[in-house]
Amino acid sequence: MSQTVGVSPEMAGLHTPEARINKHKADWRGWKFMWPFAVVFIFVFIIPICYAIYISFFKKQMIGGTKFVGLENYSRLLSDTQFWSSVGRVAIFTIFQVPVMLFLAAAMALALDSMKLHGTKFFRISTFLPYAVPAVVSTLIWGFVYGAKYGLVGSFNSFFGTHIDVLSPDVLLAAIANINTWEFTGYNMLIFYSSLSTIPHSLYEAASIDGASEWQIVKSIKLPELKGSLAITVIFSIIGSFQLFNEPSILQNMVPGNAITTYYTPNMYAYNLSFSGNQSNYAAALAIVMAIITMAIAYIVQLKSMKEQMK
Amino acid sequence: MRNVKKAIAATAAIATLVGLAACGNGSGDGNANKGDADKAELVFWGWDSGNSMKDIIAKFEKANPGITVKFNNTGTAEKTSTALSNAIAAGNGAPDVVMLEDPTVTQFAVTDGLVDLSEFGADKLADDFAAGPWNKLQYNSKPYALPIDSGPEMFFYNKAVFDKAGVDGESIKTWDDYYEAAKKIRATGSYITNLAGTSNDYQPFTAQIWQAGAQPWKVDGEKITINMTKDEGMQRYIKFVQKLIDEDLVDTKTPNWSDDWNRELNDGTIASLTIGAWMPINLMTGAPDQAGNWRVAQLPQWEEGQEVSAEDGGSALAVVKLSKNQAAAYKFIEYMTHGDGAQVMADTGTFPSLKKILTSDSFTDPTTEANKKTNDYFGGQNVNEVLSEAAQRPTEKFQYLPYNPFAQSSYGDEVSKAYTGEITLEQALENYGKKLAEQGEQQGYTVTVK
Repeated sequence: MSQTVGVSPEMAGLHTPEARINKHKADWRGWKFMWPFAVVFIFVFIIPICYAIYISFFKKQMIGGTKFVGLENYSRLLSDTQFWSSVGRVAIFTIFQVPVMLFLAAAMALALDSMKLHGTKFFRISTFLPYAVPAVVSTLIWGFVYGAKYGLVGSFNSFFGTHIDVLSPDVLLAAIANINTWEFTGYNMLIFYSSLSTIPHSLYEAASIDGASEWQIVKSIKLPELKGSLAITVIFSIIGSFQLFNEPSILQNMVPGNAITTYYTPNMYAYNLSFSGNQSNYAAALAIVMAIITMAIAYIVQLKSMKEQMK
Repeated sequence: MRNVKKAIAATAAIATLVGLAACGNGSGDGNANKGDADKAELVFWGWDSGNSMKDIIAKFEKANPGITVKFNNTGTAEKTSTALSNAIAAGNGAPDVVMLEDPTVTQFAVTDGLVDLSEFGADKLADDFAAGPWNKLQYNSKPYALPIDSGPEMFFYNKAVFDKAGVDGESIKTWDDYYEAAKKIRATGSYITNLAGTSNDYQPFTAQIWQAGAQPWKVDGEKITINMTKDEGMQRYIKFVQKLIDEDLVDTKTPNWSDDWNRELNDGTIASLTIGAWMPINLMTGAPDQAGNWRVAQLPQWEEGQEVSAEDGGSALAVVKLSKNQAAAYKFIEYMTHGDGAQVMADTGTFPSLKKILTSDSFTDPTTEANKKTNDYFGGQNVNEVLSEAAQRPTEKFQYLPYNPFAQSSYGDEVSKAYTGEITLEQALENYGKKLAEQGEQQGYTVTVK
């Protein structure tokens, strides 16, 4: 944005002395190219965010109507145990699910890139396919698989006489993590795979002339290359799992004992607050706090990975 | 180029002004906007489960040539009430007539979104409707909506499973009989019913405590009293259900309306249901393998010889306060619920709330095609006769909370813990009461918890 605006006066300055004087005046020529984007950007991005921040300072009541309450919604949020339990839940989810998923994705990418497999194209497309299935559909599929009475797990139980229930409250989060891993491993694999395929072939040739083993090639050439895309996939995955919503809300009706509460994840809590609790202002405050938390975590991860790349 | 820019700027400015002006017009207060009763263009939001709206509206327009009705199908009850509260908050875009689920009517009446229908003489219709649905639509003793249908709570049971357990469904008259039957049925491997305490079980829960004579929520203007555990009716309910849970007599793992639920109804694992009179069609589609086995009976009573009923579900029509055609709008809802429209809806499968239809011969006539189909599924029983009797039984007064959607969604959060055995039902309901009190205070009510 600033480039388009900034470059032109300098270029103009090479030709005439007047232009040099005008250098500090605003030059709007760049905006002619920018405005279609800028208008859309302002309407779909800036205004909604500002509006959410604005309404988060109010409180709408059935008795008493809407009034300005300043930071009350935020202070209430800080002591809201339901909110923090939901944040804790997605944090645990992230800590366990993201590494497992990224490890699998990297392993698959390396396997596909090794050129030692038959049917590479088939594997590439079939591992990516779950990403193309809408989350609602894949959750329903897994819900039917998980069913301890009539699902695949149920059939397994009656065949082997076991009593496995993957939807019991203790392991439910892991069951959801499994769905997410299934959905997004292929997507991350593709990011890793594309960064692996940018490695010039001459490097491999040089390595084999030097008599490097396959493992040495992986360790010294491929893994360092993956580090760059690792930062991106980690950040995307963290953002994604903090926004967990579809899978638990679909499963809610399929899980016995209401183990998925209305405040299971921060997003579900915000949704229920505003649509069944008539507290959209409080939900807006929650959304903003969640955005800040997610941004902070993503920023820390980015800083760390940049430091490592500098080394 | 410069001209083009100016033109764009001017257009944009005008568009904004027009937009603002439109807002300004719309937000004018709609109070006392009776309008012309014979000439209006009405906008009507609702859902159309019987697929009969088009017909009824055409008939209404024929009978009232000055009035046209535009029906917007809003899909579900939840979407309709969300859209309505948004439109009321915005001050424009609201319909003239709206279809609502009974418990949400109070919510809109409290927030001044609906017209008090006694202005148009609706209070005089009280005796024409069954008591159950009518009682739910009153706020400060004034009707704020007219009932389309009703859902008296019934006892549906699978005779094949009952026979296997040696239980005669017809002889279950009290909840004590029900408990004895539950033990015998459990011995055969089935459950008498499912109770899981999820938000989908909220409606049957309110119906059951209603029948037990409980008054857990008392709303008096801006004051709410919540008494989830100490109320006599609640005590009776808690003791009974806790016994069922403790002795493993109910299936606590299957929530209503889940996939498992339909399968268990279909394979006989769940042997009976206490649910609204609108259930037959759901059983016929959800449990086709049990055709001929299901029967319906009156709800078991707390005391022998009583005939107390309760309502589970139901919807109603109301006039929105922002409407400028309130008189015409009332004419329309009167036609739909009390006039000729009501018969058309009853003919297309809506369970009526109008006494006239409930007692009519055609309603219980076993030779009509619709009745024949239902009766065949119920092993030749005259289903509507039983349902009609239930609809005319007396009901106690019962009040929902003005924030019923919240009460429903948080019911699952708190009460399900009693069904997984984490805590007792009494503790769970006490926690639930606290949650409801908190929400009431957030919404500006003065709440007392007993």
